[in-house]
Amino acid sequence: MDFLDLHILPKVDDESSCTRTAQLLALSGYKAVGLTVPTGLLRGRLEVLRACFHDSGIEVFLRVDLTCSKREELLKLLRRFRSTFDIIGVKCTNHSLALVAARDRRVDLIFFSPATRNVWFDDSIANISNATLELNLSVLFEMTNHLTLTRLMKDIRVARRHDVNVVLSSGATSPFLVRAPIQLAAIAEILGLSKQQAIDGVSTVPCKIVERNVDRLSRSYVEEGVKTITGMN
Amino acid sequence: MSRRYVRIKICSPVTVTEEQFTQALTASIMKYFGEVGLSRIAPKLIRFDSRRSSVIVGFAKEHVVEMQAALAFIRQVGESEALALPLKTSGTIKGLGVA
Repeated sequence: MDFLDLHILPKVDDESSCTRTAQLLALSGYKAVGLTVPTGLLRGRLEVLRACFHDSGIEVFLRVDLTCSKREELLKLLRRFRSTFDIIGVKCTNHSLALVAARDRRVDLIFFSPATRNVWFDDSIANISNATLELNLSVLFEMTNHLTLTRLMKDIRVARRHDVNVVLSSGATSPFLVRAPIQLAAIAEILGLSKQQAIDGVSTVPCKIVERNVDRLSRSYVEEGVKTITGMN
Repeated sequence: MSRRYVRIKICSPVTVTEEQFTQALTASIMKYFGEVGLSRIAPKLIRFDSRRSSVIVGFAKEHVVEMQAALAFIRQVGESEALALPLKTSGTIKGLGVA
């Protein structure tokens, strides 16, 4: 079984920190990661970053986290970045934006910050959701009170009620926030996911997202269900 | 009571002692599962290799999930930042493949 962590936020200027993160991810049993990088990162810097992870045997998929407050702004950003990044995540900062992000098929993952009080994963968002809900469990390692736990449990309850796919990510910003897939699954199970859902959240579900997007970004892709086949007479 | 054993790799910039690790693990279980949880999980340090930063801990078989979560919640051992990565879980110490 291949494990993926779709939300690693490396310090792009600190090569030693990136190398250490990659080594720990490999030791934890991950095969691939989604690296959140700034949209304007130079190509040379990106190659160095990729090399850090490839040297440890980790496959890299580039991810962008879109943060905005208006619908028009989000749609504009999606048009701009969908074809350049492997994974698109949207940080939902208000309810109307969460609705748009959940409905849009170009969005792979939606996530909520426990620090934002006025928006959470509720039934209205779950009802129309095409995107997958992402739970960044690193917030638990830095939490100061039980409210973060309560929020995550609530999100999980809603996702289970509406059969929404859940991805478990570490959201690691430093090597010490990396967690093994089995640890992320264990935490999610304690918070209310079933054992199977928790394991799928670090393996099957992120794998499918990445495979679908690699397929979409390939030259032969025309639209959903339509591909160009070369070499046929 | 049936037991399980987990082999853990401690990643820390400084050398970690047996006491420091035991204290960190106990504190993590106490914080998230309480005293009742601690007595149910019943963790016991089996082997501690400070040179390889490798630890074997035994615990109650029914509480694998709680044990893995408690290890995930360890952020600090002693005075420095640390990470406890479970490498393998087995029903026997021999099964962990430790020489």
